[in-house]
Amino acid sequence: MKLLVTGAAGFLGGAVVERLLAHGYTDLRCNLRRRTDIRKFDALSRRYPHASIDYCVGNLKYREDAARAVDGAELIFHLAARKKGVAADLFLDSVVGSRNLLEAIGDRRPMRIVLASSFGVYGVAGLSRGAKVDEQTPLEPRPEWRDPYSHAKLRQEELFWTYQRQNNFDLVVVRPGVIYGPGSGHFSDRIGLTIGGWQLQVGGGNPLPLTFVENCAEAMVVAGTHPDGAGQVYNVHDDDLPTCREYLRAYKKSVANVQSVRVPYFGMQILSRMLVKYHRYSRGQLPAILTPYKVRNLWGGNRFDNSKLHSIGWKQLVPTAEALRRSFAAFRDELDEVTSRMQITATVITDPGKGPAAQFRSSV
Amino acid sequence: MTLNIGIVGCGKIADSHAEEIQKISCARLVAVCDLESILAEQIALRYSIPHWYADFDRMLSEQRLDVIHIATPPDSHLALARKAAQSGCHVFLEKPLAMNAKDGRRLIECVQQAGRKMTINHWYNFEAPALALKEFVARGQLGEPVHIESFYGYDLADGFGQALLSDDRHWVHRLPGKLFQNNLDHAINKVTPFLPDEPLEIVARAYRRRQSNDDNTDGVMDELRVMILGARVSAYVTFSSHARPAGHFMRVYGTKNTAHVDFAFRTMLVEGRQSVPSALGRLLPPFQSSWQNVRQAARNVQEFAGSRAHYFAGLNRLLSQFYDSILHETQVPIAYSDILRVSEITDEISAQVYAVSMV
Repeated sequence: MKLLVTGAAGFLGGAVVERLLAHGYTDLRCNLRRRTDIRKFDALSRRYPHASIDYCVGNLKYREDAARAVDGAELIFHLAARKKGVAADLFLDSVVGSRNLLEAIGDRRPMRIVLASSFGVYGVAGLSRGAKVDEQTPLEPRPEWRDPYSHAKLRQEELFWTYQRQNNFDLVVVRPGVIYGPGSGHFSDRIGLTIGGWQLQVGGGNPLPLTFVENCAEAMVVAGTHPDGAGQVYNVHDDDLPTCREYLRAYKKSVANVQSVRVPYFGMQILSRMLVKYHRYSRGQLPAILTPYKVRNLWGGNRFDNSKLHSIGWKQLVPTAEALRRSFAAFRDELDEVTSRMQITATVITDPGKGPAAQFRSSV
Repeated sequence: MTLNIGIVGCGKIADSHAEEIQKISCARLVAVCDLESILAEQIALRYSIPHWYADFDRMLSEQRLDVIHIATPPDSHLALARKAAQSGCHVFLEKPLAMNAKDGRRLIECVQQAGRKMTINHWYNFEAPALALKEFVARGQLGEPVHIESFYGYDLADGFGQALLSDDRHWVHRLPGKLFQNNLDHAINKVTPFLPDEPLEIVARAYRRRQSNDDNTDGVMDELRVMILGARVSAYVTFSSHARPAGHFMRVYGTKNTAHVDFAFRTMLVEGRQSVPSALGRLLPPFQSSWQNVRQAARNVQEFAGSRAHYFAGLNRLLSQFYDSILHETQVPIAYSDILRVSEITDEISAQVYAVSMV
């Protein structure tokens, strides 16, 4: 069976390819945006010499590329999506790309698609504080009031369910929480806002629905290949979740002592109301980046449930404590590298005779 | 009377059009259109626009539109503007004008033949410091223009830069002047008002400074230097993708004074002749310059307090003037000859730098 992984060079994509190989799948196609991304799989190919990995370089926003990517595939892990940017770019890469993929699949059978969706599709603004979020939680009723990323992810998921009803393929939807690990961002918006090097800590004692990238990839593979997975939705987060406050405390201890200010939830509600009022009064002079609705969604304080994922045999590969340790070590290395790069630049500028360029010159 | 407005092309720049149209009392944004219906739908939903389309002809036939904003890639501008004008719509065009000046001329002609009006999104020229410069020149304080420098900085790491460098089929690669052509309007349209109406000598040089991607996007050059020479006035135009911060300013050297307009800082400062003699004459200028900065900062605070310092305030002013010109049958805010001149100079630059690169 030929498997296709879209967005295979991405943060989660690479981990999914690795977990698929670890589970014994040997006929894989990786869909990549750039030819240079092929290098990322060199080590993996050496570790699994019997696997056949082919690379399909293309951009799913072009129909012809989507058609090439799906040709001959029977199981598709669809991870290609954009995480940042303006709304038009997010919709183009995440939604239009998905539509092209679905059109290219048409009535090819057998076909199972495993979609990487997001916790962002849930409409939690209407839930009471501390309410549990599981697969039965209603989807966001007002996506246009949310951030463009959540809006695009919801539209993407809706598109998959619509095509599934029309074309009747197997669809498995996996909704991860905050995916983290070496190479990821350091702070989720659920912890708070980063403004000018300061961390406004709003999440406080809310559980942080982390999922370490390897654990998340394992969940994608377990859910995506489970015989009863068709038509199902699975929330993905790790066990033993830290609170936002605990995460920040551990980060400060292990990575960097970032400046942080605690802003209570009700304080953020007041601030967001003021921002919205000012936005209206000034006719948009400052964007309404925070609204009471967004504040409720991000920091309303929900609990999360991954029991459905456990029920199909998912096991957390890397315990949370170890996953945090590995991530923090990588984050620290990243910061050290940035610092040393800045020091080298400073040395070259202040004392050209001692910089690496000077050493190179003297050795020539 | 209220003008019914439609937008065709729902990429990222369409957001700024939608936002500013909705602030203008004489305009109502009623429909958006994109070949990609998903893109039209998302902007309609976010800005509460009642209708969205994937078919331009259908939008024109179903909606009674007075003005069409064309925010599509430049290779579609001529065809869309022609259709819009023939349907009785005025046209507001996203820059650049067209693929080349020849198409641009045809575009303006077909709008004029239909008895409609058009203008182009040269919004920086309607920002407060640009207007201050205009007044300064009109009062005769600059004197005769001698030389103009226009600097436009660009960050290839931002969303648009990344989009075109990660996709060799991006529409910018189809433009004869590629990245430069998509941005040069903002640098050249500041120079053209000072250039005499006579043949100009243009010397343009460009190169790629960034590292190779090992793909077709390597053909896009990212640093450009242009020298424009008239009989009595000259200009330098610089486009830089690497200089930091990515500044955006112009200096106009006149026979009486020199003006420095910074579009990023929203300031217009004047450097005058020093009348105080000797060493004192070298002591005073920094104080005079600081005092001008303080006064300019105070003016900017006043603007902000009065909610007149929106990011796209210039676009709002340009749109208001364009809509007024339609409603009151007055002059369009930008002369067609000025629009064409920018396009002609861009053509010459594109021809020089991309011909050089092919040698």
